[in-house]
Amino acid sequence: MSRALDDVVVLDLTRQFCTSLSAAFLADFGARVIRLDLPPVRTSSDGRWNHEVDLIHRNKESLAIDPASARGAALLHQLVAKADVIVTDWQRDELAALGIDYAGASALRTDIVFGRISGFGPQGPDAELPPIDELAAARTGMMPILPQPGQPPIYTGAGAMHATVMLAFGVVTALLHRQDSGEGQEVDVSLFGANMYAGALDIQAFLAIGEGDRFLNPISRMDVSNPMSGSLYPSADGRWVTLTMPDTDRWWPAFSVAVSIAADDPRFDTHDKRTETNRLELIRELEAAFGKQPGGHWRQVFQEKQMSADVIERFDYPANDPQVLANRYILELDHPSFGPVKSLGFPIFMSDSPARLDRLAPCVGQHGPQVLADLLGYPQEAIQQLRADRVLV
Amino acid sequence: MAKALEGIRVIDLTVWFQGPVSAQYLADFGAEVIKVERPQGGDQGRGVRSIKSLPVGDWNQYFQVINRNKKSMAIDLKTEGGREILYRLVEKSDVFLSNLAPEMLESWGLSYEKLSAINPALVYATNTGYGRFGGVSKPSFDMTVQALTGAMARLGEPGEPPVYLGMGSGDAYGGIMSALGIALALYQRRRTGRGQYLDASLYGAQLFLAAPYLQSFLAGNQDAALQHSRKAVENPLWNLYPTSGKWVYVCEPNEDANFAALCRALDAPSLHADPRFATSALRALHNEALIAAIEALTLRHDHQALMRAFVAEGVVAAPVNNLADVVRDEQAWRNGYFMKAYCEEVQREVDVRGLPVTLSKTPGEIHCLGPQLGQDTELLLMDLLGYEWDEIEALKTRRAIP
Repeated sequence: MSRALDDVVVLDLTRQFCTSLSAAFLADFGARVIRLDLPPVRTSSDGRWNHEVDLIHRNKESLAIDPASARGAALLHQLVAKADVIVTDWQRDELAALGIDYAGASALRTDIVFGRISGFGPQGPDAELPPIDELAAARTGMMPILPQPGQPPIYTGAGAMHATVMLAFGVVTALLHRQDSGEGQEVDVSLFGANMYAGALDIQAFLAIGEGDRFLNPISRMDVSNPMSGSLYPSADGRWVTLTMPDTDRWWPAFSVAVSIAADDPRFDTHDKRTETNRLELIRELEAAFGKQPGGHWRQVFQEKQMSADVIERFDYPANDPQVLANRYILELDHPSFGPVKSLGFPIFMSDSPARLDRLAPCVGQHGPQVLADLLGYPQEAIQQLRADRVLV
Repeated sequence: MAKALEGIRVIDLTVWFQGPVSAQYLADFGAEVIKVERPQGGDQGRGVRSIKSLPVGDWNQYFQVINRNKKSMAIDLKTEGGREILYRLVEKSDVFLSNLAPEMLESWGLSYEKLSAINPALVYATNTGYGRFGGVSKPSFDMTVQALTGAMARLGEPGEPPVYLGMGSGDAYGGIMSALGIALALYQRRRTGRGQYLDASLYGAQLFLAAPYLQSFLAGNQDAALQHSRKAVENPLWNLYPTSGKWVYVCEPNEDANFAALCRALDAPSLHADPRFATSALRALHNEALIAAIEALTLRHDHQALMRAFVAEGVVAAPVNNLADVVRDEQAWRNGYFMKAYCEEVQREVDVRGLPVTLSKTPGEIHCLGPQLGQDTELLLMDLLGYEWDEIEALKTRRAIP
């Protein structure tokens, strides 16, 4: 079966979870992703399942070389000359030192697509700051307004996960252009930019409106703009309930019954009263109502009435949700060393060329001889010699 | 300048946020995106009047920004004539994208089977709420789906309510995931000549919002699902600290040299000399005491003074900014993360979210903000689909178009 990227060779020169995962997504859809394990190489785990590498390096091959030696550097350059794509999160000066920044890499392979995650973008005074997601998130303006008032700012980590997908999208878009034109280029996604899109609506709203305490300070859940949308209420068993029913007129007849408020209660019988005049009173009423029953009860009610509302769950929920397994968002697999385990799967379904788990993460250097033989055409003796000389680890 | 997706035509039958933002990525890179909307009111996003109880202002930035660079056709797909138009559009298009419920698309004669029979090269993309398989089909909104993923429940101090990642956070993520799927299918199609069906659901995407922690949980680390206090993180050198002004985020590994530099920046030789914190293992062991001690020191200064000291000692840190800071951030403007765009609705330039994916030779661009409802209907019917004027009149009579 043809796969989306089965004519694409990717060199993976990554350190961070988000960038490594970006290359893994390309591998999931058929790209040949060769991970360059350069010193200092990954350390092995402590006898427990290394769940992280089996996610972020799945479907990859590993080649371990030491580019500090002249022959190692030459080998690296030969690999770049054979690659369609580089995915990296190294700093530009580190890449330049190896001769494989964009200028160097494109000299070796003119049509290379050079995908990089940076900290703060390719331009501007902070272009060389390190790619640390916490720093990017702190600068994005969203952290202070995520928690309840009086609480510390919240770092979510979602910005880096945004960057993962943005980089993969940018790389494939650049490949589409290359298919047409034969031209390669640089693709940059910064953690800063990705964090801005991870918290998209507030930032755009503030850009447009330019003021408003509700954008600069946390809003208490007891002061939410619409008691029936974006709101949080604790249920009797401590699990939280969340509602997204912005159009309260549509939902009020069914919803009011569910929370034991008369549908024609004169305090709440119009959208304006529910969201403006008597908003705080409705919040207090709902706080009391949801506290009377456990989360399971509320889920059932929401389901029966097809309401846009749900119970806030912990990871055990998706881990055991048949819907998640049916869609392969989480995979059950038989690990050669650790037996049956669950691992994050594939967020995109494609009917003709679905993502596949062909192999778990490679051992460091596992595919060195193979890559040298079939990608670079090295004879066996030469490969043996490189191993003996520790150029190939 | 060349555009990466030039020549790709996309039918964008989407509403609200996830679907529109997915098509926005394609439009930014030069695809011709034709938004197909119901004649009465169009995309519901056109009706957004307030965000967080604040009026959106004199232009609807919710709708206009994620529907930029698009054309709009108003077609009533519930009519036979409307479907005929769409089928003809499918013949001429490369991508069909919708975030309407699959049952609704089916009932309108817009299933994958139907449309791929018309155009076998069509890339048919949906954004469902909970995935294509498994049988769950119910209303899905960003926050109610995020609620299920576990991403909210792990955030915040212990005992505090769960934390929503931000309005539209999950939709935006589903949107870029969908754009990636479409790009993959288009790339493959150039070799095979065949289209296919793809789905990027809100649930599937959002499960990756907290991927490192969910994966850890799946490996048996129950703790990864729970809230953790910043007062007890394992490495006190990588943590949030309050000051008399803004909070600061200190990001240093727990090494002796880094601790020494931090102590110098805080002008705290006694902290550095404290035997409880002498090694990295001891600092991890006495993490709570160390965090309390650092916090007592950071609170004596404002963030500006602290940042000056951090910079002087090479301590990696940043103040926790707010939205008023980021909209003025030179780095954001220099990289095109924010841009100016002309807004027809108010006849002036406005500030918008720009291009977070930077392609050096085929950069994205914003040539217009969101279209007027149906502004391109007649022109596209004639120029692209080859309808004669009397046929268009007949379609109006049949109420297929307004």
